[in-house]
Amino acid sequence: MRIPIPQFLILAALTSSPILAADSVACRTAKGGAANATEITTALEKLLPLLNPEQKKALHHPFDYGNATRWSNLPLGVVPRNGLRLGELDEKQEAAARRVFEGVLSACGLKLLDEVRLADDWLKAYDKRPIGWDGGNYFLTVLGTPGEKTPWMLQIGGHHLAFNFTFNGHQPGATPLFFGTEPIQFEIKGATYTPLDAQSTAMSRLAAAIAANPQAKLSGTFTDVVKGVVMSGVPGQMPTGGTDTGFPQSYPAGDQDRGVKVSALTPAQRQLAREAIESFASFPGKSIGAPLLAAYLDTRAFADTFVGFSGSPELSAKGSYVRIDGPRVWMELVVQPAIAHPEELHYHALWRDKQSDYGGEIRK
Amino acid sequence: MLFGLLAGAAGAHPAPNSQLRLEFQAGVVLAEYWVPKSELAWARAADPAGGYDAYLLRHLAAETQDGKPWQVIIGAVRESTYMDHEYLVAKLRLAPPAGATARDFVLVADAITHEVRNHVVFVTARRGDGADLVGALQYPAKRLRVTAPQAVAQSR
Repeated sequence: MRIPIPQFLILAALTSSPILAADSVACRTAKGGAANATEITTALEKLLPLLNPEQKKALHHPFDYGNATRWSNLPLGVVPRNGLRLGELDEKQEAAARRVFEGVLSACGLKLLDEVRLADDWLKAYDKRPIGWDGGNYFLTVLGTPGEKTPWMLQIGGHHLAFNFTFNGHQPGATPLFFGTEPIQFEIKGATYTPLDAQSTAMSRLAAAIAANPQAKLSGTFTDVVKGVVMSGVPGQMPTGGTDTGFPQSYPAGDQDRGVKVSALTPAQRQLAREAIESFASFPGKSIGAPLLAAYLDTRAFADTFVGFSGSPELSAKGSYVRIDGPRVWMELVVQPAIAHPEELHYHALWRDKQSDYGGEIRK
Repeated sequence: MLFGLLAGAAGAHPAPNSQLRLEFQAGVVLAEYWVPKSELAWARAADPAGGYDAYLLRHLAAETQDGKPWQVIIGAVRESTYMDHEYLVAKLRLAPPAGATARDFVLVADAITHEVRNHVVFVTARRGDGADLVGALQYPAKRLRVTAPQAVAQSR
């Protein structure tokens, strides 16, 4: 049984407009989780007795490089996940898992989780090969020992979602946070969903506002996010990669080909940059999200942040891309051809923090 | 849970990457270069001059550690399909200058990556029946030191 999407979210989706406010305000003003390690630990302790031994084993793994970087933007059939499969939970288990999600995610994060899973449910009818498009193929994973002192991670993810939250690390860790959707908009049982409406609208409005500035145009072509997972393979061999084995990432330096600095923008353009950052940073609960957002919007850091784009600012064609690249923040959104219906489009988006991916806790 | 892994895997990924498969032989390095046509199309739109051989020679070279160029020869190029994506597969022959070792060189390559910012070229070296990952190149990186892998231990 799937937990129903709150009515206010359905209404928000149905009334979604090109203006950012409608969709995002609905979740941003709703009460979300605090992302407090103690509360989440308690919620996990309540889930644990409801699980059978096999499920308990699936839920817990050591907090190390291999497990932490085991997230992907590829379906389960391509990159198997560690973790407790949400599609196999009974009603009591699902309710207990929901308490964990409600503890760590904001209302926007919960909305994203629900709607991205629904998008995979929508895709399921087209999964003829099959490769695992299914809203049930999303997982909850605990790395390390939950508590208040030592570092540990909570991962929630599947095909188009990877939440990687780190507690008690060197820094609050909300990233890497990958999210995407195919299709961009869909209907299920009479309700319309646009999972990345807030983020795509915010990035599009930012790109449109800066498009006239020659510095804002990034060189080259983008067919996926730049700092995401990659895979490779040739006939006769199993595909390799597909997880975050590129971590730690290197990032552009200097002023060239990074877009235009926020300090050079008009006040109205700066506001759009701020809204775009806020839209990506809206998913974790407060104790994780608030300090990161404060760091990104710190006067000096924000002024030194670059915003750039490629392709169509309206995000109406494949290869369209928008990026925010600051002293710490890295946020990118790209438009790709859809897989189920290649004539249509789908989104990939990624938020990384140059200092606190995985809470600054893992090394290769 | 069993899925049609090999049949569908890359088709789930709309931005396939390249792979340069090296094989160290006596005095020479042979290679097979798998380049996805979908990503190559973006790169060729930015750099359309000449045929594919000429394009490759503009974007793939090798040199000694002290900068002396290797000879790169493009051999047969065929088309192949792998997991829903179409590739050009080129045979390459890389030969060191006189007196230089053929077991250690610097690969200088930016085919596709000169244009497609997310594209990655994986470089592998054959070792026994398998291959070692030597490294990967993504914009702006285009230089990679390559050394021959240690021989596989003989089985008794």
